[in-house]
Amino acid sequence: MAREARFGYLVLLSSRPFPMTDPLRPTTDAEPLVSVRGLTTVLSGKTIFDALDMDIPRGRITAIMGPSGTGKTTLLKHITGQMAGDAGQVLVDGQDVGELSRSQLFKLREQIGYLFQNSALLTDFDVFENVAFPLRQHTDLSEELIRNVVLLKLQAVGLRGAAALMPSELSGGMARRVALARAIVFDPMLILYDEPFVGLDPIALNQVLKLIRTLNDTLGITSVLVAHELDAIKQVADHVYLIANGKVVAQGDPKTIADDGSPWTRQFFGGEADGPVPFQYPAGDYAQSLGFPRSQA
Amino acid sequence: MSAQTQRNMVTEALAQIGQCGLFLLTILKAVPGSFRYVRETVRQLWFVGAMSLTIIMTCGLFVGMVLGLQLYYVLSIFGGTAASGTVVAIAIYRELGPVVTALLFAGRAGTSITAEIGLMRATDQIAAMEMMAVDPIAYVVAPRFLAGLIAMPLLCSVFCALGIFGGHLVGVTWLGIDNGTFWSNMTANVDVWKDVVNGIVYKSVAFGAVVSLIAVFQGYTTPPTSEGVAYATTRTVVASSIAILALDFVLTAFLM
Repeated sequence: MAREARFGYLVLLSSRPFPMTDPLRPTTDAEPLVSVRGLTTVLSGKTIFDALDMDIPRGRITAIMGPSGTGKTTLLKHITGQMAGDAGQVLVDGQDVGELSRSQLFKLREQIGYLFQNSALLTDFDVFENVAFPLRQHTDLSEELIRNVVLLKLQAVGLRGAAALMPSELSGGMARRVALARAIVFDPMLILYDEPFVGLDPIALNQVLKLIRTLNDTLGITSVLVAHELDAIKQVADHVYLIANGKVVAQGDPKTIADDGSPWTRQFFGGEADGPVPFQYPAGDYAQSLGFPRSQA
Repeated sequence: MSAQTQRNMVTEALAQIGQCGLFLLTILKAVPGSFRYVRETVRQLWFVGAMSLTIIMTCGLFVGMVLGLQLYYVLSIFGGTAASGTVVAIAIYRELGPVVTALLFAGRAGTSITAEIGLMRATDQIAAMEMMAVDPIAYVVAPRFLAGLIAMPLLCSVFCALGIFGGHLVGVTWLGIDNGTFWSNMTANVDVWKDVVNGIVYKSVAFGAVVSLIAVFQGYTTPPTSEGVAYATTRTVVASSIAILALDFVLTAFLM
């Protein structure tokens, strides 16, 4: 693939009219970019996924929601090949991630942006170098072009003025925005956001939502969001999956999914302690744990 | 301690050695790829080499001074103080230089390498590199391994030079051994290949490889917790010290 085709930001920097969609990337519903088929994962004896099936359509923003510990981050790790499942398949752009060699996996990852839950900025580098890192590793772009691209991305997340700061000088929300700038620096075909809204103030949250939407609309990038904030998801996502007990228990339009009437959505979106998802981690008898005889409980 | 527990400990130790060996193969495979990151290797060389100079120079000086003092009193019993230059040089070149430098290197540089890589793992920086399609073995591990390999003989040379200077300071300047005798006996009896090269080149390169390997292995495989990093750092010092002394015996037996 031509370098210009891979790095959509060059289109942004070129003097040609900016296209609303990338003609090189199909944005139809024809074939999902990510297909999860019969994925089963067991970690430390606990079944995380039980024959999970899921499709992530191209050019759309798909949100994955679910109770804590249900395996949302693990699913992202499966998609990026950081973790192998015990059974089933994960196909990304038609490639079975589990079957790829390390070099093939790295080739695939060059086209995937990943926003880590804890930002994962490189602490030896300042903000500018953190965002420039993928460009320096995988391109031979001139210093001037790298500078322009990095400043463009930092401007997009509102941190161009923080380019010289070290990660230790950033707040949690700022670090997250820098990590977001780094994740999108390649304008990849797929961006995976793991809890992108945590720690953001309302202004930054709104700008990040707009940025995710703009990237999706203008460059046809496929986005997967793992988040708990339904209001934010309603604003930005096209489709939402609710996973619990190792399976997809509900899916649909984020604006209406909360009203579908199933016990899963009622409990999750209503924030109720009682329902199919136990609030309490499995434990022995409460009264006995406190030292009371069973009859007094 | 039950026999079963002892067996488990031995099995675990053997498994660790095996994993460490496999990790070495992984590093060696990644070394050609790490030549892209020459700047990172040079940065690490500065960090583990140049930044260790103070402790190496100070310890080298005092080891030489102690050696000069002890030898003077022992050799004066037999009227053989003229040989103190020779004995100081041979002891430092053959044994004390490479061994003490390696032990200091493990304490100063090995622990920091382990802690740094361990913290990078705990804060997902290693995973972030993997996700950016950058091989962390080539970018993080191999440069540190190579830097240790290069730094050790250089540090050992400095240690030996300062050690002999310390021996000279005590023996000649303070206790009155003849300066010409001190140097002429040393140059006449110290063999460049047998003593200097064996110690500064063979032994220190081997020790550098072992300490660096243990440090990067412990850092890379540590559980991503604060307790895990602390434990891995301790293990680096303990395992390196044992490995250095054991390997020293083997190398000495072969290089005699």
